[in-house]
Amino acid sequence: MSFWDDALHRAVAEVILAGALAGLVGVHVVLRRLSFFTMALTHATFPGVVVAALLGLDLLLGGMVTGVAVVLGVAALSRRTGRNATAATGVLLSAGFALGAGLVALRSGFSRDLSSYLVGSILTVTTRDLLITCGTLLVVGSVLAVCARPLLFTGFDPSGARAAGYAVGAWTLLLLLLIEVVVVTLVPAVGTILAVALIVAPAAAARLWSARLPVVTALAVGLAIASGLAGLYASARWNLAAGASIALAATGTLLVSALLRSAHR
Amino acid sequence: MTALRYTGVSVGYQGSPVLTGVNLALRAGRRLALVGPNGAGKSTLIRSVVGLAEVLGGTAQVFGRSPERGRELCGYVPQAGDLDADFPVTAGQVVLMGRYRRIGWFRPTRAADRRAARDALDRVGLADHAGRRYGVLSGGQRQRVLLARALAAEPRMLLLDEPFNGVDAVSQEAILAVLRDLTAAGTALMLSTHDLRLAREVADEACLVNGRQWAAGPPSEVLSDATLREAYAP
Repeated sequence: MSFWDDALHRAVAEVILAGALAGLVGVHVVLRRLSFFTMALTHATFPGVVVAALLGLDLLLGGMVTGVAVVLGVAALSRRTGRNATAATGVLLSAGFALGAGLVALRSGFSRDLSSYLVGSILTVTTRDLLITCGTLLVVGSVLAVCARPLLFTGFDPSGARAAGYAVGAWTLLLLLLIEVVVVTLVPAVGTILAVALIVAPAAAARLWSARLPVVTALAVGLAIASGLAGLYASARWNLAAGASIALAATGTLLVSALLRSAHR
Repeated sequence: MTALRYTGVSVGYQGSPVLTGVNLALRAGRRLALVGPNGAGKSTLIRSVVGLAEVLGGTAQVFGRSPERGRELCGYVPQAGDLDADFPVTAGQVVLMGRYRRIGWFRPTRAADRRAARDALDRVGLADHAGRRYGVLSGGQRQRVLLARALAAEPRMLLLDEPFNGVDAVSQEAILAVLRDLTAAGTALMLSTHDLRLAREVADEACLVNGRQWAAGPPSEVLSDATLREAYAP
Protein backbone atom coordinates (compact mmCIF):
# COMPACT_ATOMS: atom_id res chain seq x y z
CA MET A 1 0.00 0.00 0.00
CA SER A 2 1.53 3.29 -1.09
CA PHE A 3 1.02 6.83 0.27
CA TRP A 4 -1.18 7.67 -2.73
CA ASP A 5 -3.57 4.79 -2.11
CA ASP A 6 -5.16 6.81 0.70
CA ALA A 7 -8.06 8.83 -0.72
CA LEU A 8 -7.48 11.63 1.79
CA HIS A 9 -3.81 11.97 0.81
CA ARG A 10 -4.80 12.22 -2.83
CA ALA A 11 -7.49 14.76 -1.98
CA VAL A 12 -5.03 16.93 -0.02
CA ALA A 13 -2.53 16.83 -2.89
CA GLU A 14 -5.29 17.67 -5.37
CA VAL A 15 -6.56 20.72 -3.45
CA ILE A 16 -3.00 22.05 -3.11
CA LEU A 17 -2.31 21.67 -6.84
CA ALA A 18 -5.79 22.91 -7.83
CA GLY A 19 -5.48 25.88 -5.45
CA ALA A 20 -2.13 26.89 -6.95
CA LEU A 21 -3.60 26.60 -10.45
CA ALA A 22 -6.75 28.57 -9.59
CA GLY A 23 -4.77 31.30 -7.82
CA LEU A 24 -2.30 31.76 -10.70
CA VAL A 25 -4.93 32.14 -13.38
CA GLY A 26 -7.41 33.86 -11.03
CA VAL A 27 -5.20 36.95 -10.80
CA HIS A 28 -5.51 37.47 -14.55
CA VAL A 29 -9.26 36.81 -14.41
CA VAL A 30 -9.76 39.43 -11.69
CA LEU A 31 -7.42 42.06 -13.15
CA ARG A 32 -9.00 41.80 -16.59
CA ARG A 33 -12.51 41.64 -15.13
CA LEU A 34 -13.18 38.26 -16.73
CA SER A 35 -15.13 36.78 -13.80
CA PHE A 36 -18.43 36.72 -15.67
CA PHE A 37 -16.75 35.22 -18.71
CA THR A 38 -15.17 32.55 -16.50
CA MET A 39 -18.58 31.74 -15.05
CA ALA A 40 -19.94 31.33 -18.59
CA LEU A 41 -17.01 29.06 -19.34
CA THR A 42 -17.70 26.86 -16.33
CA HIS A 43 -21.36 26.49 -17.32
CA ALA A 44 -20.51 25.80 -20.95
CA THR A 45 -18.07 23.08 -19.92
CA PHE A 46 -20.99 21.18 -18.38
CA PRO A 47 -22.77 20.08 -21.61
CA GLY A 48 -19.43 18.96 -23.04
CA VAL A 49 -18.96 16.68 -20.06
CA VAL A 50 -22.50 15.32 -20.48
CA VAL A 51 -22.07 14.67 -24.19
CA ALA A 52 -18.77 12.91 -23.53
CA ALA A 53 -20.47 10.75 -20.87
CA LEU A 54 -23.30 9.89 -23.26
CA LEU A 55 -20.83 8.94 -25.99
CA GLY A 56 -18.53 7.09 -23.60
CA LEU A 57 -15.62 9.47 -24.26
CA ASP A 58 -13.17 11.08 -21.83
CA LEU A 59 -15.21 13.58 -19.80
CA LEU A 60 -12.41 16.11 -19.40
CA LEU A 61 -11.83 16.06 -23.14
CA GLY A 62 -15.56 16.71 -23.69
CA GLY A 63 -15.49 19.66 -21.31
CA MET A 64 -12.39 21.02 -22.99
CA VAL A 65 -13.90 20.86 -26.48
CA THR A 66 -17.07 22.79 -25.55
CA GLY A 67 -15.05 25.21 -23.44
CA VAL A 68 -12.76 26.02 -26.36
CA ALA A 69 -15.84 26.42 -28.59
CA VAL A 70 -17.25 28.93 -26.09
CA VAL A 71 -13.94 30.81 -25.92
CA LEU A 72 -13.91 31.13 -29.71
CA GLY A 73 -17.65 31.92 -29.77
CA VAL A 74 -17.35 34.72 -27.22
CA ALA A 75 -14.26 36.09 -28.99
CA ALA A 76 -16.16 36.14 -32.31
CA LEU A 77 -19.35 37.59 -30.82
CA SER A 78 -17.37 40.26 -28.94
CA ARG A 79 -15.68 41.25 -32.16
CA ARG A 80 -19.04 41.66 -33.91
CA THR A 81 -21.07 43.15 -31.09
CA GLY A 82 -18.28 45.37 -29.75
CA ARG A 83 -19.00 46.42 -26.20
CA ASN A 84 -22.00 44.16 -25.86
CA ALA A 85 -19.82 41.13 -25.12
CA THR A 86 -21.49 40.79 -21.71
CA ALA A 87 -24.85 40.05 -23.33
CA ALA A 88 -23.24 37.52 -25.68
CA THR A 89 -21.48 35.85 -22.75
CA GLY A 90 -24.70 35.74 -20.70
CA VAL A 91 -26.61 34.12 -23.54
CA LEU A 92 -23.88 31.49 -24.01
CA LEU A 93 -23.84 30.83 -20.26
CA SER A 94 -27.58 30.07 -20.09
CA ALA A 95 -27.58 28.19 -23.37
CA GLY A 96 -24.65 26.04 -22.29
CA PHE A 97 -26.19 25.12 -18.98
CA ALA A 98 -29.63 24.51 -20.55
CA LEU A 99 -28.05 22.23 -23.13
CA GLY A 100 -26.29 20.27 -20.39
CA ALA A 101 -29.45 19.96 -18.29
CA GLY A 102 -31.46 18.91 -21.35
CA LEU A 103 -28.92 16.26 -22.27
CA VAL A 104 -28.87 14.90 -18.71
CA ALA A 105 -32.66 14.54 -18.84
CA LEU A 106 -32.35 12.51 -22.04
CA ARG A 107 -30.83 9.58 -20.24
CA SER A 108 -32.09 8.49 -16.85
CA GLY A 109 -29.43 7.21 -14.45
CA PHE A 110 -26.82 9.72 -15.57
CA SER A 111 -27.75 12.58 -13.30
CA ARG A 112 -26.25 11.02 -10.20
CA ASP A 113 -22.87 10.33 -11.81
CA LEU A 114 -22.82 13.67 -13.50
CA SER A 115 -23.50 15.61 -10.31
CA SER A 116 -19.86 14.95 -9.39
CA TYR A 117 -18.87 16.87 -12.53
CA LEU A 118 -21.11 19.75 -11.52
CA VAL A 119 -19.84 20.19 -7.96
CA GLY A 120 -16.74 17.97 -7.85
CA SER A 121 -15.82 14.84 -5.97
CA ILE A 122 -12.46 15.48 -4.37
CA LEU A 123 -12.43 12.30 -2.28
CA THR A 124 -12.62 10.14 -5.39
CA VAL A 125 -9.81 11.80 -7.37
CA THR A 126 -7.60 9.25 -9.06
CA THR A 127 -3.84 9.23 -9.46
CA ARG A 128 -4.49 10.09 -13.12
CA ASP A 129 -6.45 13.22 -12.02
CA LEU A 130 -3.51 14.20 -9.81
CA LEU A 131 -1.03 13.78 -12.63
CA ILE A 132 -3.24 15.85 -14.96
CA THR A 133 -3.53 18.66 -12.40
CA CYS A 134 0.23 18.55 -11.78
CA GLY A 135 1.00 18.63 -15.51
CA THR A 136 -1.48 21.47 -16.09
CA LEU A 137 0.07 23.46 -13.24
CA LEU A 138 3.51 23.10 -14.81
CA VAL A 139 2.29 24.06 -18.28
CA VAL A 140 0.02 26.95 -17.23
CA GLY A 141 2.62 28.26 -14.76
CA SER A 142 5.33 28.16 -17.42
CA VAL A 143 3.17 29.87 -20.06
CA LEU A 144 2.14 32.61 -17.62
CA ALA A 145 5.79 33.16 -16.62
CA VAL A 146 7.15 33.19 -20.17
CA CYS A 147 4.36 35.43 -21.45
CA ALA A 148 4.23 37.70 -18.38
CA ARG A 149 5.26 40.85 -20.26
CA PRO A 150 2.79 40.66 -23.16
CA LEU A 151 0.00 39.61 -20.79
CA LEU A 152 0.76 42.53 -18.45
CA PHE A 153 0.93 45.09 -21.27
CA THR A 154 -2.16 43.85 -23.14
CA GLY A 155 -4.12 43.60 -19.89
CA PHE A 156 -3.23 47.07 -18.62
CA ASP A 157 -3.39 49.00 -21.89
CA PRO A 158 -4.74 47.01 -24.87
CA SER A 159 -4.64 49.99 -27.26
CA GLY A 160 -1.11 50.97 -26.24
CA ALA A 161 0.02 47.37 -26.63
CA ARG A 162 -1.56 47.14 -30.08
CA ALA A 163 0.09 50.41 -31.10
CA ALA A 164 3.39 48.89 -29.93
CA GLY A 165 2.87 45.97 -32.30
CA TYR A 166 1.37 43.33 -30.00
CA ALA A 167 -1.35 41.07 -31.44
CA VAL A 168 -3.69 41.84 -28.54
CA GLY A 169 -6.45 39.52 -29.79
CA ALA A 170 -4.08 36.56 -29.92
CA TRP A 171 -2.75 37.21 -26.42
CA THR A 172 -6.27 37.54 -25.05
CA LEU A 173 -7.27 34.32 -26.77
CA LEU A 174 -4.26 32.56 -25.25
CA LEU A 175 -5.31 33.71 -21.78
CA LEU A 176 -8.93 32.63 -22.32
CA LEU A 177 -7.74 29.19 -23.42
CA LEU A 178 -5.54 28.92 -20.34
CA ILE A 179 -8.57 29.79 -18.17
CA GLU A 180 -10.55 27.04 -19.91
CA VAL A 181 -7.76 24.51 -19.36
CA VAL A 182 -7.77 25.42 -15.66
CA VAL A 183 -11.58 25.19 -15.40
CA VAL A 184 -11.56 21.69 -16.90
CA THR A 185 -8.65 20.62 -14.70
CA LEU A 186 -10.51 21.81 -11.58
CA VAL A 187 -13.54 19.62 -12.37
CA PRO A 188 -12.50 16.65 -10.12
CA ALA A 189 -11.86 19.01 -7.19
CA VAL A 190 -14.80 21.41 -7.33
CA GLY A 191 -16.77 20.55 -10.48
CA THR A 192 -17.59 22.73 -13.45
CA ILE A 193 -20.04 25.04 -11.69
CA LEU A 194 -18.05 25.77 -8.51
CA ALA A 195 -14.67 26.21 -10.24
CA VAL A 196 -15.35 29.92 -10.68
CA ALA A 197 -15.39 30.42 -6.88
CA LEU A 198 -11.92 28.94 -6.44
CA ILE A 199 -10.57 30.95 -9.39
CA VAL A 200 -12.11 34.34 -8.64
CA ALA A 201 -12.63 34.67 -4.86
CA PRO A 202 -9.04 34.13 -3.59
CA ALA A 203 -7.60 36.37 -6.33
CA ALA A 204 -10.17 39.10 -5.62
CA ALA A 205 -9.38 38.81 -1.89
CA ALA A 206 -5.63 39.00 -2.62
CA ARG A 207 -6.15 42.16 -4.67
CA LEU A 208 -7.74 43.80 -1.60
CA TRP A 209 -4.54 43.25 0.39
CA SER A 210 -1.89 44.37 -2.09
CA ALA A 211 -1.37 46.45 -5.21
CA ARG A 212 1.87 44.68 -6.16
CA LEU A 213 1.38 42.04 -8.80
CA PRO A 214 3.89 39.48 -7.44
CA VAL A 215 2.39 39.85 -3.94
CA VAL A 216 -1.18 39.60 -5.29
CA THR A 217 -0.24 36.44 -7.19
CA ALA A 218 1.47 34.80 -4.19
CA LEU A 219 -1.46 35.73 -1.93
CA ALA A 220 -4.02 34.44 -4.43
CA VAL A 221 -2.23 31.09 -4.65
CA GLY A 222 -1.92 30.90 -0.86
CA LEU A 223 -5.55 31.79 -0.22
CA ALA A 224 -6.81 29.36 -2.89
CA ILE A 225 -4.77 26.51 -1.36
CA ALA A 226 -5.94 27.48 2.13
CA SER A 227 -9.56 27.54 0.89
CA GLY A 228 -9.12 24.07 -0.57
CA LEU A 229 -7.61 22.65 2.63
CA ALA A 230 -10.18 24.38 4.86
CA GLY A 231 -13.03 23.12 2.68
CA LEU A 232 -11.61 19.63 2.73
CA TYR A 233 -11.26 19.73 6.52
CA ALA A 234 -14.82 21.03 6.97
CA SER A 235 -16.08 18.33 4.65
CA ALA A 236 -14.35 15.57 6.61
CA ARG A 237 -15.17 17.06 10.05
CA TRP A 238 -18.87 17.81 9.50
CA ASN A 239 -19.63 15.46 6.66
CA LEU A 240 -20.38 18.25 4.18
CA ALA A 241 -20.15 18.12 0.39
CA ALA A 242 -16.45 18.78 -0.33
CA GLY A 243 -16.85 20.85 -3.50
CA ALA A 244 -19.39 23.13 -1.85
CA SER A 245 -17.23 23.47 1.29
CA ILE A 246 -14.20 24.48 -0.79
CA ALA A 247 -16.25 27.01 -2.78
CA LEU A 248 -17.71 28.44 0.45
CA ALA A 249 -14.25 28.63 2.06
CA ALA A 250 -12.97 30.51 -1.01
CA THR A 251 -15.94 32.89 -0.80
CA GLY A 252 -15.18 33.27 2.91
CA THR A 253 -11.65 34.53 2.16
CA LEU A 254 -13.13 37.29 0.03
CA LEU A 255 -15.81 38.18 2.58
CA VAL A 256 -13.36 38.31 5.49
CA SER A 257 -10.80 40.25 3.44
CA ALA A 258 -13.43 42.80 2.37
CA LEU A 259 -14.63 43.23 5.98
CA LEU A 260 -11.10 43.56 7.39
CA ARG A 261 -10.03 45.98 4.68
CA SER A 262 -13.10 48.18 5.12
CA ALA A 263 -12.59 48.14 8.92
CA HIS A 264 -8.93 49.07 8.39
CA ARG A 265 -9.93 52.10 6.31
CA MET B 1 12.75 63.34 -43.73
CA THR B 2 8.98 63.16 -43.99
CA ALA B 3 7.59 61.37 -40.96
CA LEU B 4 3.98 61.32 -42.10
CA ARG B 5 2.34 61.77 -45.47
CA TYR B 6 -1.44 61.40 -45.81
CA THR B 7 -2.92 62.02 -49.27
CA GLY B 8 -6.70 62.05 -49.64
CA VAL B 9 -7.00 59.76 -46.63
CA SER B 10 -10.24 58.63 -44.95
CA VAL B 11 -10.02 57.03 -41.51
CA GLY B 12 -12.60 55.23 -39.39
CA TYR B 13 -13.65 51.99 -37.74
CA GLN B 14 -15.17 48.79 -39.13
CA GLY B 15 -15.46 50.26 -42.61
CA SER B 16 -17.33 53.44 -41.50
CA PRO B 17 -15.42 56.68 -42.08
CA VAL B 18 -15.08 59.13 -39.19
CA LEU B 19 -12.84 61.64 -40.94
CA THR B 20 -12.34 62.15 -44.67
CA GLY B 21 -10.19 64.17 -47.06
CA VAL B 22 -7.04 64.30 -44.96
CA ASN B 23 -4.00 65.75 -46.72
CA LEU B 24 -1.04 66.14 -44.41
CA ALA B 25 2.74 66.06 -44.50
CA LEU B 26 4.73 66.23 -41.29
CA ARG B 27 8.51 66.56 -41.34
CA ALA B 28 10.99 65.56 -38.64
CA GLY B 29 11.27 68.11 -35.86
CA ARG B 30 7.90 69.75 -36.63
CA ARG B 31 4.94 70.02 -34.25
CA LEU B 32 1.45 69.49 -35.66
CA ALA B 33 -1.69 70.19 -33.65
CA LEU B 34 -4.95 68.52 -34.67
CA VAL B 35 -7.80 70.79 -33.67
CA GLY B 36 -11.54 70.29 -33.78
CA PRO B 37 -14.62 69.81 -31.60
CA ASN B 38 -15.38 66.59 -29.72
CA GLY B 39 -16.14 63.75 -32.14
CA ALA B 40 -14.41 65.56 -35.01
CA GLY B 41 -12.09 62.62 -35.71
CA LYS B 42 -8.87 63.92 -34.11
CA SER B 43 -8.25 60.80 -32.04
CA THR B 44 -9.22 58.54 -34.95
CA LEU B 45 -6.64 60.25 -37.15
CA ILE B 46 -3.91 59.82 -34.52
CA ARG B 47 -4.93 56.21 -33.91
CA SER B 48 -4.79 55.48 -37.64
CA VAL B 49 -1.06 56.26 -37.67
CA VAL B 50 -0.35 53.35 -35.29
CA GLY B 51 -2.93 50.97 -36.74
CA LEU B 52 -5.61 51.43 -34.07
CA ALA B 53 -8.05 52.90 -36.61
CA GLU B 54 -8.47 51.89 -40.22
CA VAL B 55 -7.24 53.82 -43.23
CA LEU B 56 -10.27 53.40 -45.50
CA GLY B 57 -9.06 55.31 -48.54
CA GLY B 58 -6.24 57.41 -49.95
CA THR B 59 -2.54 56.89 -49.37
CA ALA B 60 -1.10 56.81 -45.86
CA GLN B 61 2.64 56.63 -45.31
CA VAL B 62 4.51 56.62 -42.01
CA PHE B 63 8.24 57.10 -42.62
CA GLY B 64 7.62 55.97 -46.18
CA ARG B 65 5.93 52.71 -45.09
CA SER B 66 2.40 51.54 -44.37
CA PRO B 67 1.11 52.51 -40.88
CA GLU B 68 1.38 48.85 -39.75
CA ARG B 69 5.09 48.78 -40.60
CA GLY B 70 5.90 52.40 -39.79
CA ARG B 71 4.38 52.34 -36.33
CA GLU B 72 7.49 50.77 -34.85
CA LEU B 73 9.13 54.17 -35.24
CA CYS B 74 6.24 55.90 -33.46
CA GLY B 75 5.49 56.46 -29.80
CA TYR B 76 1.79 56.61 -28.94
CA VAL B 77 0.56 58.37 -25.81
CA PRO B 78 -3.10 57.53 -25.08
CA GLN B 79 -5.34 59.56 -22.79
CA ALA B 80 -4.55 58.59 -19.20
CA GLY B 81 -8.28 58.45 -18.42
CA ASP B 82 -8.73 55.55 -20.85
CA LEU B 83 -6.52 53.22 -18.79
CA ASP B 84 -7.47 51.03 -15.84
CA ALA B 85 -6.27 52.94 -12.76
CA ASP B 86 -7.02 49.90 -10.57
CA PHE B 87 -4.46 47.70 -12.35
CA PRO B 88 -1.61 46.87 -9.94
CA VAL B 89 1.36 48.27 -11.86
CA THR B 90 3.92 50.82 -10.72
CA ALA B 91 4.90 53.92 -12.70
CA GLY B 92 8.29 52.29 -13.31
CA GLN B 93 6.68 49.13 -14.73
CA VAL B 94 4.49 51.22 -17.05
CA VAL B 95 7.52 53.11 -18.39
CA LEU B 96 9.43 49.86 -18.87
CA MET B 97 6.58 48.67 -21.15
CA GLY B 98 7.98 51.17 -23.65
CA ARG B 99 11.09 48.95 -23.86
CA TYR B 100 9.23 45.63 -24.26
CA ARG B 101 9.48 45.77 -28.05
CA ARG B 102 13.27 45.86 -27.76
CA ILE B 103 13.56 43.41 -24.88
CA GLY B 104 11.27 40.74 -26.34
CA TRP B 105 8.86 38.44 -24.51
CA PHE B 106 10.90 36.83 -21.85
CA ARG B 107 14.54 37.93 -21.99
CA PRO B 108 15.58 39.58 -18.72
CA THR B 109 15.64 43.38 -18.83
CA ARG B 110 19.14 44.72 -19.47
CA ALA B 111 20.77 47.57 -17.59
CA ALA B 112 20.35 49.74 -20.71
CA ASP B 113 16.56 49.16 -20.68
CA ARG B 114 16.25 50.01 -17.01
CA ARG B 115 18.41 53.08 -17.51
CA ALA B 116 16.31 54.22 -20.48
CA ALA B 117 13.13 53.84 -18.41
CA ARG B 118 14.68 55.74 -15.48
CA ASP B 119 15.88 58.53 -17.78
CA ALA B 120 12.46 58.83 -19.40
CA LEU B 121 10.77 59.11 -16.01
CA ASP B 122 13.38 61.68 -15.02
CA ARG B 123 12.69 63.72 -18.16
CA VAL B 124 9.03 64.11 -17.21
CA GLY B 125 10.00 65.06 -13.66
CA LEU B 126 8.83 61.88 -11.94
CA ALA B 127 12.14 60.14 -11.19
CA ASP B 128 11.17 59.63 -7.56
CA HIS B 129 7.77 58.12 -8.46
CA ALA B 130 9.03 54.91 -10.11
CA GLY B 131 7.88 52.69 -7.25
CA ARG B 132 4.47 54.30 -6.82
CA ARG B 133 1.38 52.59 -8.13
CA TYR B 134 0.16 54.13 -11.39
CA GLY B 135 -3.43 54.38 -10.11
CA VAL B 136 -2.57 56.56 -7.09
CA LEU B 137 -0.88 59.24 -9.21
CA SER B 138 -2.78 62.40 -10.20
CA GLY B 139 -4.25 62.68 -13.70
CA GLY B 140 -1.36 64.90 -14.79
CA GLN B 141 1.25 62.56 -13.35
CA ARG B 142 -0.35 59.57 -15.10
CA GLN B 143 -0.20 61.46 -18.39
CA ARG B 144 3.48 62.18 -17.77
CA VAL B 145 4.13 58.49 -17.00
CA LEU B 146 2.52 57.55 -20.33
CA LEU B 147 4.65 60.17 -22.08
CA ALA B 148 7.73 58.67 -20.37
CA ARG B 149 6.69 55.21 -21.61
CA ALA B 150 6.61 56.54 -25.18
CA LEU B 151 9.98 58.29 -24.68
CA ALA B 152 11.56 55.09 -23.38
CA ALA B 153 10.90 53.54 -26.81
CA GLU B 154 13.01 56.32 -28.40
CA PRO B 155 10.46 57.10 -31.13
CA ARG B 156 11.11 59.22 -34.21
CA MET B 157 7.53 60.46 -34.19
CA LEU B 158 5.44 61.04 -31.10
CA LEU B 159 1.63 60.92 -31.20
CA LEU B 160 -0.32 62.34 -28.29
CA ASP B 161 -4.09 62.03 -27.92
CA GLU B 162 -5.43 65.01 -25.92
CA PRO B 163 -2.36 65.10 -23.65
CA PHE B 164 -3.61 68.09 -21.65
CA ASN B 165 -7.08 66.78 -20.76
CA GLY B 166 -7.57 66.98 -16.98
CA VAL B 167 -3.91 67.84 -16.49
CA ASP B 168 -2.79 70.31 -13.80
CA ALA B 169 -0.63 73.34 -14.63
CA VAL B 170 2.59 71.76 -13.28
CA SER B 171 2.17 68.63 -15.40
CA GLN B 172 1.16 70.68 -18.42
CA GLU B 173 4.35 72.74 -18.17
CA ALA B 174 6.46 69.58 -17.68
CA ILE B 175 4.89 67.96 -20.77
CA LEU B 176 5.32 71.11 -22.88
CA ALA B 177 9.01 71.37 -21.92
CA VAL B 178 9.66 67.75 -22.93
CA LEU B 179 7.82 68.22 -26.24
CA ARG B 180 9.91 71.28 -27.09
CA ASP B 181 13.15 69.42 -26.32
CA LEU B 182 12.08 66.42 -28.39
CA THR B 183 11.23 68.38 -31.50
CA ALA B 184 14.43 70.38 -31.16
CA ALA B 185 16.24 67.04 -31.32
CA GLY B 186 14.40 66.10 -34.53
CA THR B 187 11.40 64.08 -33.34
CA ALA B 188 8.20 64.74 -35.28
CA LEU B 189 5.19 65.50 -33.11
CA MET B 190 1.47 65.19 -33.69
CA LEU B 191 -1.03 65.93 -30.94
CA SER B 192 -4.75 66.42 -30.73
CA THR B 193 -6.33 69.11 -28.60
CA HIS B 194 -9.52 71.10 -28.36
CA ASP B 195 -7.65 73.85 -26.50
CA LEU B 196 -7.02 76.50 -29.16
CA ARG B 197 -4.71 78.57 -26.96
CA LEU B 198 -2.49 75.56 -26.34
CA ALA B 199 -2.53 74.60 -30.01
CA ARG B 200 -1.27 78.08 -30.93
CA GLU B 201 1.38 77.92 -28.19
CA VAL B 202 2.66 74.39 -28.92
CA ALA B 203 2.39 73.86 -32.63
CA ASP B 204 4.14 75.24 -35.65
CA GLU B 205 1.54 73.59 -37.90
CA ALA B 206 -2.16 73.05 -37.36
CA CYS B 207 -4.86 70.96 -38.95
CA LEU B 208 -8.51 71.76 -38.38
CA VAL B 209 -10.89 68.82 -38.66
CA ASN B 210 -14.57 68.15 -38.13
CA GLY B 211 -15.70 65.09 -40.06
CA ARG B 212 -13.40 66.21 -42.84
CA GLN B 213 -10.24 68.27 -43.03
CA TRP B 214 -11.20 71.94 -43.10
CA ALA B 215 -7.77 73.58 -43.18
CA ALA B 216 -4.09 72.83 -42.67
CA GLY B 217 -1.10 75.13 -42.43
CA PRO B 218 0.38 77.70 -40.05
CA PRO B 219 -1.67 78.03 -36.82
CA SER B 220 -2.19 81.75 -37.35
CA GLU B 221 -4.09 81.02 -40.58
CA VAL B 222 -5.79 77.73 -39.70
CA LEU B 223 -6.99 78.90 -36.31
CA SER B 224 -8.37 82.21 -37.48
CA ASP B 225 -11.86 83.15 -36.25
CA ALA B 226 -13.39 82.86 -39.69
CA THR B 227 -12.02 79.34 -40.37
CA LEU B 228 -12.95 78.13 -36.90
CA ARG B 229 -16.52 79.45 -37.23
CA GLU B 230 -16.88 77.65 -40.54
CA ALA B 231 -15.51 74.33 -39.25
CA TYR B 232 -17.29 74.29 -35.89
CA ALA B 233 -20.74 75.03 -37.38
CA PRO B 234 -20.70 73.16 -40.68
